[in-house]
Formats: sequence, C-alpha cells, structure tokens
Amino acid sequence: MTTTVIMRTTARVIVPIILVVAVSLFVEGHNLPGGGFIGGVLTTTAFAIIYLAFGLDFLERGVLGRDVDPGKEPSRDRVVVAYRRVFEYGLAIAIGSGLVPLLFGRPFLTQTFVELEGVPIYHHVEIASALAFDFGVYCVVVGGLLTILSVVGAE
Amino acid sequence: MSPDQAVVVAAVALPFVAAALTPLLFRLLGERTGYAGAVVAITSFTLLASQYTEATTSSGTVPPLPWIPSLDVVLRFYVDGWGLLFALLASGIGTLIFLYSPAYMHGESHLVRYYAALLAFMGSILGVALAADLIAIFLFWELTSLASYVLIGHYTADDSSQYAARMAMVVTVGGGLFLLVGFLLLSIVAVDVVGSASASAVGVYDLSAMLDNPDAMQSALRDRGLFLPVLGLLAIGAGTKSAQVPLHFWLPNAMAAPTPVSAFLHSATMVKVGVYFVGRMRPILVGEEWLFLFATLGLTTMTVCAILAVAATDIKELLAYSTASHLGLMIAGFGFTSIYGAETGVFHLLNHALFKAALFLVAGIVAHEAGTRRIDALGGLRHDLPVTAAITVVVALSMAGIPPFNGFYSKELLFEAAVEASHYHDIGALGWLYPAVAVFGSIFTVLYSLRFLGLFFGARPDGLGDVHEPSITMLVPPAVLAALAAVVSVDPEVAVRVIVQSGVDATATDPEAMHVGLPTSYSTPVGMSAIAIGVGFLAYPFYDRIHRGIRSVPAAAPPVSANWWYDAVVGNLTGAGSWLGSRVHNGLLRTYATWTLAATCAFALAGFAATVAVAPGELVGIDATPAIALVLAVAVVAAIAVVTADSHVAGILTLSILGFMIAIFYILASAPDLALTQLVVETLVLLIFLLVIEEIPEYYEVGLGGVARDAVLSLAVGATAFVTVLLTTDARPEGSTDVARYYAESAVPEGGGTNIVNVILVDFRGFDTLGELVVVTLAAISILTLIVMRSRGDDE
Repeated sequence: MTTTVIMRTTARVIVPIILVVAVSLFVEGHNLPGGGFIGGVLTTTAFAIIYLAFGLDFLERGVLGRDVDPGKEPSRDRVVVAYRRVFEYGLAIAIGSGLVPLLFGRPFLTQTFVELEGVPIYHHVEIASALAFDFGVYCVVVGGLLTILSVVGAE
Repeated sequence: MSPDQAVVVAAVALPFVAAALTPLLFRLLGERTGYAGAVVAITSFTLLASQYTEATTSSGTVPPLPWIPSLDVVLRFYVDGWGLLFALLASGIGTLIFLYSPAYMHGESHLVRYYAALLAFMGSILGVALAADLIAIFLFWELTSLASYVLIGHYTADDSSQYAARMAMVVTVGGGLFLLVGFLLLSIVAVDVVGSASASAVGVYDLSAMLDNPDAMQSALRDRGLFLPVLGLLAIGAGTKSAQVPLHFWLPNAMAAPTPVSAFLHSATMVKVGVYFVGRMRPILVGEEWLFLFATLGLTTMTVCAILAVAATDIKELLAYSTASHLGLMIAGFGFTSIYGAETGVFHLLNHALFKAALFLVAGIVAHEAGTRRIDALGGLRHDLPVTAAITVVVALSMAGIPPFNGFYSKELLFEAAVEASHYHDIGALGWLYPAVAVFGSIFTVLYSLRFLGLFFGARPDGLGDVHEPSITMLVPPAVLAALAAVVSVDPEVAVRVIVQSGVDATATDPEAMHVGLPTSYSTPVGMSAIAIGVGFLAYPFYDRIHRGIRSVPAAAPPVSANWWYDAVVGNLTGAGSWLGSRVHNGLLRTYATWTLAATCAFALAGFAATVAVAPGELVGIDATPAIALVLAVAVVAAIAVVTADSHVAGILTLSILGFMIAIFYILASAPDLALTQLVVETLVLLIFLLVIEEIPEYYEVGLGGVARDAVLSLAVGATAFVTVLLTTDARPEGSTDVARYYAESAVPEGGGTNIVNVILVDFRGFDTLGELVVVTLAAISILTLIVMRSRGDDE
C-alpha cells in the first residue's frame, strides 16, 4: 500500500493525541465515560494508523524496538507473538485480580476502593481495585484486536 | 436395618474408577489387565453380597446423596432382592468374563479401550440395577448404550462392526429417549402421590417412593389419563433395549463384538436391562393393558426369534437370536399378571444368564480353536474338546427346556402363567392363543438347542483342522456357569430360597411362597412341555429342510425382514442429510450468510407471530426531536448510498457515515459511553476494511436471480430488525425499573464510581465481563489458527 506524505504527517500528529486520550479514557473510566474496553480499542486504532501510514516493519523496529528478521512472514513469528503475549497477560491479570479477594475470604471478583485525601495537585484521589481488573480488560482488547489486525492485514 | 450407603456406592463407583485407571493398569500389567478387571468385578460382587441379608429381609432405600438439589435430583440407591439379583449377575458374570478375556483377546490391539469400556459398562449396569432415582436410572441406562457402542464397534477397521455398533446405538439410545419422556410424566404424577420434598414444579424422581405406593400411583396415573402413555413409553424404552419385535434386529448384528463382550452384553446383562426394568415397574403398572401389551409382545418375540435362530448359519447368530427369543419369554412372563408371571420372569432371568453366558463362552472357544463360526463347517467336536462338550450338554439342554435342567422349570412356569391368564381376565380367544403360541415357539427352541449341541456330535467335517482344548482360563468361566446351572437343575429350591423368592416379592403385586420342582402328576403345563419337546425331537432330522425353508422367505420378500426397514430408513435419512448438507454447506461464505440470516429471520418472526398479538396501529407513532430525526434521516440516506456505491471504497466510507450517525444518535439519547464505543469501533472497523479491501475482487457478475434473492433477504432482515426493535422497546416498563434504581443508587457507595456503566462492568457484573474477555481471546486465537495454521498446513 502506498501512503502519501499527508497521511504520514497526519499520523505523526494524531497518534500521540490518540494514545493520550486512550490512557485518559482508561483512567477516568470509573467516573466518566470510558474504561478498559474503549481505551483498548482506541489504543489499537493508534497502532493501526501507524501500520497504515508506515507499514508493519516500522511498527516493529521503530515503535516496539524489536529486531526484525527481514523476509519472514509477518503474521507468523514476529508481531503476533508479542500481541498474543499481551492478551495472555491481560487475561491473567483479570483473573488474578479476581482471585485476590479469595485470600481475604471474600467471593471471587469482589472489588473495593479507597479514597486518598490531600494528594498534591489532585487533592482527592480515589483508587478502586477494579482498576486492576479493568487493566486486564484493556490488555486483552489491545492484544486481541492487534492480533486480528496484523493477521488480517498480512493477508 | 437398611443397606449401607458407603458399601453400595463403592460397589457402583469402583468399576468407573477402575475404568479411568485402565491406561495406567495396562502400562503396568499389559494383557494381564483382564485379571485386574476380574478383581474389580469380584470386589463389587463381594461388596454387594455383603448387603444380602439387609436387602432380602428389609429392602430399603439407601440414604440419598444430593446431586442437583435445585432440580430435586439425588443419587439414591434402592437395594432389594430383584435389584440385588441383577447386580450380582452383572458383577459375577463380569468376573468370569474378565477372567476369560486375556486368553481370548491375546494379541489384539486397542485392549486399553476394550477393558476400560467393559469396566464402565459393568458399572453402568450396576447403576441401573440399584439406582432408585429416575434421572440416575436414565443416565446409567444410556451409559450402558454408550459403552456397548464402543464394545460392539471394537474392530474399528471393520465396516460391519461399525454398522452394527451404530445400529445398536441408534436403536437403544433412541429407545432411551422414549423412556426419558415416560420418566418425566411419571415424575409429574408422583408429586400428587408421594409429594416432593421441595414441592417444586419439576416433580419427584424418587422411584423407591413410587414403589412404596404402587396402587396410589396407578390410580393417579389413570386419573390424569397418563396411564397408557406412560405404559407405552416405558414399553418402547424397555423393548428397544431388550430387542423385542420389531426392533429385535440389532441384537444379532451386535455379534460383531468380540465374543466375551457378546457373552456379557448380549446375553447376561445389557439386553436384560429392559426385562429388569419391566419387572421393576410391574407392581405400579400391572393390569389388563399390561397383560395385552407385554404378553403379546413377549410371546411374539419369543416365537419370531426362535424361528430366526433356526435360520441362522453362524453359531453366534444362532445364540443371539436365541437370546432375543428368551428375552421375549421373560417379557411375556412379566406380562402375565398372575404370580406365576413374576416367578417366570425372575427365575428365567437367572437361568438364562447362567446357560446363555456359558453358551457364548463355548461359542468363543469353538471359534477360537476351530477358526470358524459357520455351523455347516463344524461337527463332532466332542473328541477334540471333551470338557467343552460336557459343559455344552448341560447348558444346551437347559436352553432347550428339557427336564430336569434348569431352563425347564422356568419355562414350565411360563406355560402355567399362560394357561392361568384366562382365569384372571376375560381375554376371549387369547386365552388359548397364548398357551398355543408359547408351545409353538418352544418347539423351535428345542430345535436350535439340539442343533447347537450337534456341533459336538455326529461326523467331523473334512475341512476342519486341528482343534485343541483352550487354556484353563478360558475353560473355567463356562465351567463355573455350567456347574451353577447344574446345581439349580438338581435342586431348584436352592435358587428359590437364596434369591429368586425375594426377587419375586419385589416384582409381584401379591407375593406368596414359590415352589418349583419336577412334576409328579399330569397337568396342562406338563402336557404342553411334552408336546414341545416331543415335536422338537421328531422334527430334528428335518432340520436342514426347515432351515432352508425359513431362509427362503426373506430372500423372496425383503420387506419381511426388520433389518431391511432399518436400512431403508437410515439410508434415506443419510441421503437426505447429505443432499441438505451440499445445499447449505457448499463452502461459499455467501451461502452460509444467506441461510443463517434467513433462518434467524424466520425463527424470530415466527416467534413474534406465535407469542405476541401485534397491532401495528398501536406501535406506529413518531415521537422524535428534530435533531434526532435529522441524524436518522442522514443515516437512511447513507444506507441507500452504501447500496448504490460503485466501488468498495465508496461503499465503506458511506457505511462509516451510517455508523457515525448512530454514534451521534447515542449522544443525543444521552448514552455517552455507548457513543464513545460506537465511534471508536467504527473507526477501527473502517481501518480494517481499508486494509483488506485490496484483496477483494472489484465487482463480479451476479445473475438476476441472485440479485432478487439478495434483495428479498435484505428486506426480510430489515423487517425483522424493525419489528424486533418496535416490539422490545414497546415491552419496556414505564419509568425506571428496580434493577436500574438499584444500580443507580449503589454505584457510588458500593463501587466508588460515578460512571454506572463502568461500575456495572467491573464491579457488579465482573464475571460477565470476564466471560467476554475470554470471548475476545478466543476470537483472536481462532483467527490466528484459521489463517496462520492454514498456510502452515500448505507447507507440509
């Protein structure tokens, strides 16, 4: 696929913005629209735009900092393994966070939260244990969608 | 004192545990695994025998084990004389079969599967015999079918073996489904009679409670008009399992199994499960209808299969038809309502198990040593196999019903019951027809029994090679059975005292002390026996002529044979199935989509038509703000543009317009989370589309028929979606519901988040979300497998 200068320039500008928005959506998810799923899909979109504008090799070498063995089929050995690891870890985090309450004699997937007052800049911060679970969701969505994207794209 | 729960459960569970451990045992013991199986079987036997006193004196329910409490299903065992007789037969003969197997199966492959299936099979039989919960009985009942499927189809490379296994499976599992319906009807009625612990709507499956109130159960069934349906359904279930006419054909085909299996499954145990169950239900359902149904069915089977046994050319085929015939005898016995009927059924079950298992084992020895099973090619074997010949004399004469061998006593009881039937009920011409048919069938029984015995006498055919006595482990099991048969022959009262009497007590409505013995003076049954034996002996010299005469009938008119019907039905079903398959699954994604969408629409619309009275006038009413109306109008225009787009890129871009309009609609309808998701997903889908678009061929020619079909289908899908939305939103309750209020009120205090959607996702319904995560993971793995593995497969 040939890409134009406009496309590449636009991508340079919007990808960081998308990533920042994705992270903020993820963090704010508990109180404002957002959450692991949307954050994950948006992150994937950012990667997809890099892929469209610069190609898979750039994504590998430039963004993920991995050594590339040129000539190998992309879908088989390279990116997919990394992506697959992301969703595997994500699933492990989600299930693991659900198992923690069992240690305290609570049912599987019980969630709780603490509120911290007097934190610099924010003054009031609330930390929910659900954030760990949501992070698992995020990882699974990113890993799963990127796998699909790269496999389908390589076709 | 009631039987001990731990002992009974252990006896039933032990074979299953051993089956699971078979691969390990085989690694340690090799072909000697059979002896380990024998140890398991004898252990179960001993455990059950230890309950003998409790079971025969105060038959009782073992304390139940909860299984599915919410459905009122428990694992409940009931040990009485009848169940114990059957369970002891299964484990006792099982011991002998395991002892016999290693020598017979020497050098065969797949022995792990063989022994595991045989163990599981024995466990299931014990389960059926002892379970007192209808659901548990059904489960064990179908497990016997499954295990026998594996065993009959042991020679996986052999087509006839596969055919026979499939046939046995189709017939017996199919029959089991009728049984299940019968059980459900029974459980519904049982709620009225015995009440349910939880008084739930699902009913009560406690068979022992029903057996405690047989008369109340029967009158309740009659009040509800369910008596005949239940009777018919149970009869179909028991009849298929016990190979009653016209479904007798699977049993002779099942001889494709290895001979020890035939001896175990098809003479001693599985096929008797049906008979056992008929005996079990007898106190509840016995009556005039019962007599007509089971006496007629049993006597017909007895006669038809005895005639077919005479037509057999293979020693195992002869024995298999003979088994079906004797099963008919037992069913007929239970069919007669007098006490003699119950005595016939119980006593013949014991006698038949003893002589028929021995006969099958003898047939195995003959086939193993002589290398052929063709009746014509065998004869004069008494010189080569003297011990086997001695065994055969006892058991074959017992099968023929010659006095004083044990088969004689139980057949005498059948004649007695047949004669008595007209004294109990006004059954018209059947009063003399039943005894006449019983005698007629018995003549053929005598004939084929003599023919089997003839293998050991007369001239030795020239083609027969060197024949030796088999190893001791193959000789002991039939010898033990023949010795038991001889004991019963000499003193039948021993068997009656030990177990038969308590079996009769459990199956008869008005039990009384039972007496059997050699007749000392003339009576009608004695005369009937004399006729059957006399005519049988007189006709024996003409055996070959009778044999050819019977064989010529199905050859001349194939539809006479039940097997022909099975082939016709199953063959046509297979043909129709592959025709449908080739139409629906032709490998084109388009075809799959067409069928899936069309079927979904048809089901959804039919569902609405059947359940909801739709009044279109009430539903139509436009109630939208101008902003929403504008957004939706743009979406409609975009949808039309998608259809008319002249390139893929234009189509995808216009499709995105539609998607973004929906996102805006969500925003206007104050669902920001949904809108955000829709926006992001829409963007990603657009990107993926752009990636794959190059691979899609530009435009291809579609015929006018294809266009019309697609147009109709799209309209149907659209209409279905439209109607569904209208109806479901119309059914929404006014205002906010309890659930919605609960979430709105508890989101902050319980989950600490003000975004209710997210709090629901991660806090309240985290388990659902976890499930969805697994779905996403599975989707990614599937795509990996589908695409990456596909190309890998090409390389190799």
